Amino acid sequence: MDHENDLAKIREEIEAVISSRSLPKERRAIGFFCPYVPEELLHAAGYLPFRLMGTPIEMSRVQAHLPSNCCHLVKSSLESLLRGELDSLEGVVFTHTCDSMQGLSDIWAHQGRLSIHFNLMIPSNLNSEHSRPYLKAEIKRFQNFLESRSGRITPESLKASIQLFNRIRERMRNLYTLRQKKDLQLPEGFFARLIRAGYLMDRSRYLDLLNQLLDGVTRRSERDENLIPVYLSGNMVHSDSYFSLIEEAGATVVRDDLCSGARTLRLMVPENPDPLEALTQRYFTSFFCPTKHTGHRAHIETLLEDVEQSGARGVIFLLYKYCEAHYFDYPDLKAALESKGIPTLLLDVEDPDHSLGQLKIRIQAFVEMLHPF
Amino acid sequence: MENQRQPNPYRQIRSTRAYRRLMKAYYLMAKHPRWFGKKVAWITSGGPVEPLYAMGVLPFYPENYGAMCGAFRMSVSLCEAAEHRGYSRDLCSYALTDIGSSFTGKGPLGPLPKPDLLICSNNICGTVIKWYEIQARAFKAPLFFLDTPFIHGPIQEHTFRYVEKQMEAYVAFLERELGRPFPEKRFDRVCSRSFEAITLWKEILDLSRRRPAPFAAFDAFIHMAPIVTLRGTLWAARYYRRLKRELEDRVSHGMGAFDREKIRLIWDNIPIWYDIRNLSRMLSSRGAVLVADTYTSAWSLDRIESDQPLKALARAYATIHLNQGLEYKIRKMVNLIEEYAADGFIMHSNRSCKPYSLGQYDLRREVTRITGKPGLIIEADHTDSRSYAPAQVEKQIRTFLDIIEDKAQRNL
Ligand code: SF4
Ligand code: SF4
Repeated sequence: MDHENDLAKIREEIEAVISSRSLPKERRAIGFFCPYVPEELLHAAGYLPFRLMGTPIEMSRVQAHLPSNCCHLVKSSLESLLRGELDSLEGVVFTHTCDSMQGLSDIWAHQGRLSIHFNLMIPSNLNSEHSRPYLKAEIKRFQNFLESRSGRITPESLKASIQLFNRIRERMRNLYTLRQKKDLQLPEGFFARLIRAGYLMDRSRYLDLLNQLLDGVTRRSERDENLIPVYLSGNMVHSDSYFSLIEEAGATVVRDDLCSGARTLRLMVPENPDPLEALTQRYFTSFFCPTKHTGHRAHIETLLEDVEQSGARGVIFLLYKYCEAHYFDYPDLKAALESKGIPTLLLDVEDPDHSLGQLKIRIQAFVEMLHPF
Repeated sequence: MENQRQPNPYRQIRSTRAYRRLMKAYYLMAKHPRWFGKKVAWITSGGPVEPLYAMGVLPFYPENYGAMCGAFRMSVSLCEAAEHRGYSRDLCSYALTDIGSSFTGKGPLGPLPKPDLLICSNNICGTVIKWYEIQARAFKAPLFFLDTPFIHGPIQEHTFRYVEKQMEAYVAFLERELGRPFPEKRFDRVCSRSFEAITLWKEILDLSRRRPAPFAAFDAFIHMAPIVTLRGTLWAARYYRRLKRELEDRVSHGMGAFDREKIRLIWDNIPIWYDIRNLSRMLSSRGAVLVADTYTSAWSLDRIESDQPLKALARAYATIHLNQGLEYKIRKMVNLIEEYAADGFIMHSNRSCKPYSLGQYDLRREVTRITGKPGLIIEADHTDSRSYAPAQVEKQIRTFLDIIEDKAQRNL
């Protein structure tokens, strides 16, 4: 068997996951939006954690429920629900992040379409000693809720799930490292789809695919020194179009802090004896999300350090329009980066599949500017 | 139709003079805290102010200031100053106004008093977290954040415990930053004054259950300033005692806020500060009076227990109106409609304020289903007039009032 062939098969399987409009049948699926939902618990309870990531969709029903100044993720998810596209989900777990998600959760519940609706109330202050016992109590409440629906979650099964998700993060980290060294020649658009698929498909199978992929590609890699390394900062916008545009402009995303991407690599769970404690603690170590308070300089410091380590020459902010958490931080982040000589570009995103022409020109101009003279 | 356009004289509230004096004194102190030997804390409108007054710190409310800028029609230029610095126009215009003001030193007060402390609570929204972080960086001032988890459903005991613990941390923060012990006795006094003012305020708002309503929501929008900024002081309690007497007097003489009162309405969301007068005039010319609203009653904290004030405060602040979910808001609107015998309700879909505005469409349908009363949604922004189309809004309101009148005719 040659690697070419293996790779083609893997890609086929990933593409099938992404393009399928129906939910997988193997397991009962529960939707979620945010890495603050411990997928490990859902998995250990026998559910498929199915991440809602904002799909390109024509908005026709959502206007009767939401004002227009909500981000695409919020609007498109509710549109999907109202169209019945999510009816085969058993339910959805919301976490407290921003005001829009908070509002969405109530509107969603009010429609009464899905049988499970749970609000996991992650504290907004992660900078206080009192948040830890509170969060642990919330995660415990979540566990109790899941158990009331699907039977006891044994410590063994939870540990096994924690291990599975940790292994996936390790493989992902390997992939990121290879990309950073430009040793990995995967088309950018495919990389984005690979990441998306990891939130939708059976996770054991996903780990298999990642393993095969890593075996296959590293051996046939060659560096491309001409690619300009850029850093991508922002929300959960793993829509392949941006990645392809960046690639076409002659750049490569060596690192990101997207909430569906490298940000979640910071969620490794210590595999120690108390899994619930471990699931709690991980949110207090290096995980960063701008909807939470972790100190008033945390975002600047986390981003500067990450960008520096990545070797990126420029930073592209890819932000969902109307996202307060990000837009409030943006001016100070931009100033901090530029004071270190790192140029930035802001891209405002509504529906990821719209207005690509405009974006293309701006990305090209930006990458052009990053070329060494 | 002509007879509907008759002038409908508004009855001046006599206490307004005292109100003006009070707010002038407050803003004089806020502008020149050093004259009075005061440290200044910037605090969010839902933040626990009582510990500050107990410690002798003067609270400054950027949101109240934002409302003032809106009423003076000075917000747009301040928002633009913030936008010039890279802040998106889509952010809350209270925040943009405050940020713009602190950059430029402009606004109705001139340069804002520099914060010695920043006190932020997210019981109103998540916006304030980001906003106060920005100001903590800009002013290099210590920030205390009181996290009050949103209440979608039944309240958990561990949530209360969490908020109580943070209240204790808040007190410790003040002691550390100000370098002196927390005066328990004084705090007790401040709390009882605060509860007194809140109770008076609640009683004042309740008076408008009478027909005609002695106090319109447009009055409440103005006269709520002391309950926000001076809650916990003797001044506030004294002022509201006076206002209450005056309004009780109106009730005993059967006098309403306006000469005529034909239609009773409830208002939802923050007022459109720059158009308040125009809207009030327009409604009253048709005999429509806003008799209650969900905004000014946000300060009528329900739980009043004073044996353990810190605990009571934690519970009260954790459960304010804006920190509760859609089902709560539906119940509250239904109750207001019933208690105030309202004929309908107007909801301001406020571009700036998502916690207030998301869910209003479902809320309107549900409240109408339960009460049979029609609701109107108008789109605006509380301080930024750039996204407001007054002619269209007026037209919507006229049509809405026609519907209510038709309905009343048919029921005769
Ligand atoms: S993208 Fe921003 S506004 Fe949208 S759900 Fe996420 S945090 Fe909220
Ligand atoms: S978002 Fe709403 S609650 Fe928050 S500061 Fe703005 S107006 Fe106030």
